[in-house]
Amino acid sequence: MIEVKDLVRQFKSGDRTIKPVNGVSFELGKGQLASIVGKSGSGKSTLLSLLGALDKPTSGDVVVDGVSLAGLPDGKLTEYRRRDIGFVFQQFNLIPNLSAVDNVMLPMEFADVRKSARAQRAKELLEQVQLDPEKHSRRTNRLSGGEQQRVAIARALANEPKLILADEPTGNLDEQTGEHIIELLSSLSRDHDTTILVVTHDRGLARKADRRFRLHQGQLNEDVTAGR
Amino acid sequence: MSVLARSVGNAFRNKIRTAAVVAVLAVAIGLALSMLVANQAVGAKVQELNASVGTTLTVNPAGGQGFEGGGEPLTAAEAATAAAVPNITSVVGTKALRLRTETTTTDTADAAAGAAQPDAGGPGGQAASVTTSLTAAVDAGTLGNRNNTGSGTGTGTTNGTEPARTFTLPITATGTAAEVDSSGKALDITSGTGLGDYSAASTKALVGTTLAEKNNLKVGSTFTIAGKTYTVAGIFDAGTTFGNNAVYLTLAEAQALAETPGELSSMVVTVNSMENVDSTKTALQAALGASKADVTQGQRNLETAVSSLNSVKGISLVAYIAALATAGLIILLIMVMLVRERRREIGVLKAIGARNRTIGLQFVLEALVLVALGSVVGAAIASFASGGIASALVSSNSSTAAGATGQRGPGGGPGGPFGGATQLLTSVTASASPGVIAAGIAAVFAVAIIGALVPALLTARIRPIEVLRGE
Repeated sequence: MIEVKDLVRQFKSGDRTIKPVNGVSFELGKGQLASIVGKSGSGKSTLLSLLGALDKPTSGDVVVDGVSLAGLPDGKLTEYRRRDIGFVFQQFNLIPNLSAVDNVMLPMEFADVRKSARAQRAKELLEQVQLDPEKHSRRTNRLSGGEQQRVAIARALANEPKLILADEPTGNLDEQTGEHIIELLSSLSRDHDTTILVVTHDRGLARKADRRFRLHQGQLNEDVTAGR
Repeated sequence: MSVLARSVGNAFRNKIRTAAVVAVLAVAIGLALSMLVANQAVGAKVQELNASVGTTLTVNPAGGQGFEGGGEPLTAAEAATAAAVPNITSVVGTKALRLRTETTTTDTADAAAGAAQPDAGGPGGQAASVTTSLTAAVDAGTLGNRNNTGSGTGTGTTNGTEPARTFTLPITATGTAAEVDSSGKALDITSGTGLGDYSAASTKALVGTTLAEKNNLKVGSTFTIAGKTYTVAGIFDAGTTFGNNAVYLTLAEAQALAETPGELSSMVVTVNSMENVDSTKTALQAALGASKADVTQGQRNLETAVSSLNSVKGISLVAYIAALATAGLIILLIMVMLVRERRREIGVLKAIGARNRTIGLQFVLEALVLVALGSVVGAAIASFASGGIASALVSSNSSTAAGATGQRGPGGGPGGPFGGATQLLTSVTASASPGVIAAGIAAVFAVAIIGALVPALLTARIRPIEVLRGE
């Protein structure tokens, strides 16, 4: 489903060259849940940005369903993000003055889904992530952290993406809410055949993954003993 | 939720700031609209003045004017000379007659003045006096009796020491070569038709409204001048009591009645533009000769008035553009601030697949929502303030103009035959018409779109990774 080939991302910092991602290669199949762990500053978020076409690699390539992202123009990369990728951020990154339903409808609006279909699907997704129906119309800045993360996951699922990229999805949540979110992501990959790549410090979440990776000094190593 | 709905929602995200922005925009837009209204009102007034009497010159025989003075009469030859002067678009000759009411009195004084007296007219014998069956519509009153002692048609007694006379005003008959009055202004025919061919002799006549009423005349009625029967072809309204106590005939007919073929009492000359009036007047005077004709610009003060009004028009236009630019600048700065404030949100929208144009459109629409609110309040401000602003502009300018040109009369009031430039200027009425307000608001929206496009384009340069790196 996704194939990463010798991916490199380097930055200049004064006279130094930093390579948070240095020759990363791996493949993930459909419906797999993978986790990446690593120390702060090890390049986990940078790798996720490259996979989600938020950033462009210095070298290497990402191939999604046979389509290479290298060399695609910005418009095509936007389309890729809209159609194939769902993002879940640590800080949720919801639009605060919009309701939960409106936030979930946003990616569908960008994908030109009909308005009636948008509203219907947004409600279904919010039910699926077990957000209290009374809170569907509430502004997201009036929801708790766990509720906001559920809305963020529902938004990531809006356009039925092939790949969900989650960056520390439980980082801002208490233990109990974090476990709910882990369960939710796990069931999504199982029930919807969605490939999920999670960057996390959470060992519980990492243990739930089909495949576990560790990023250290820009190099990715897989823990081959892992498995659900 | 559509882009528009999201934009409306965003516009009210911070209600206090929105209120402040709308208030500032409303002042700028209100000022712009007020200036536009003032500009339109002054422009319309300038057009009206130019279209009426601003470009006409009057030529009278040298030393004579109307029924006063002396000198030699003008002739068709002078009319041809005038027509050949550059920038003159038309020359209309007129022949004035005094019509005196037929009377049966045997009073010697009346007999001396009441009968047809071709030589009892004005300058150069131009204003021939002939009898008519018509009765003047204006009573002589104190002024008429005082001004015309010994020269009118009347009844009364002469006791040898102090004549007790009741003077009957004469009626002015004017022969004209076109359907205009003696000042060159088109006749306002309220019923009937004109005289057709004004260059040929004709028994058709145009009668003033009050004169027609006094003599029970309607279109098709008849009356006599010097024993000849004339038919009323039309009734006109000159707008004044004096002007409506008059008859218009064709030029040739009036010349025949006065038994002075080819002679003109005056000529009305039209110049092609206001700017050429002065130079044309000089050229015309030179062509006709100072000893032959007096060329006057009867509406001389209009030039001052129009000049002052044009100055007001220019000031209001500059102020309008400045206020529009201010509104555009306000929008630009507000939207730049909003874009900077929402960089992270823009990054998120891009991360979840929003196109650059969708985000840009959202910001432009948000700007237009603010402008729409500002326009509503601004239009209300303009509807109340435009009259006052226009008056302030005009009065400050008119006092300058009047002071500079010495157009004030002896009593300290406005001088000149038409009340002076000041009176003309202050007669400008500025009212906020829906059409002008709509045009002004359209211009405000156009400027707002330009102002909002810059920050909207800035959003395209925001890269999601840069704003999400804080993660």
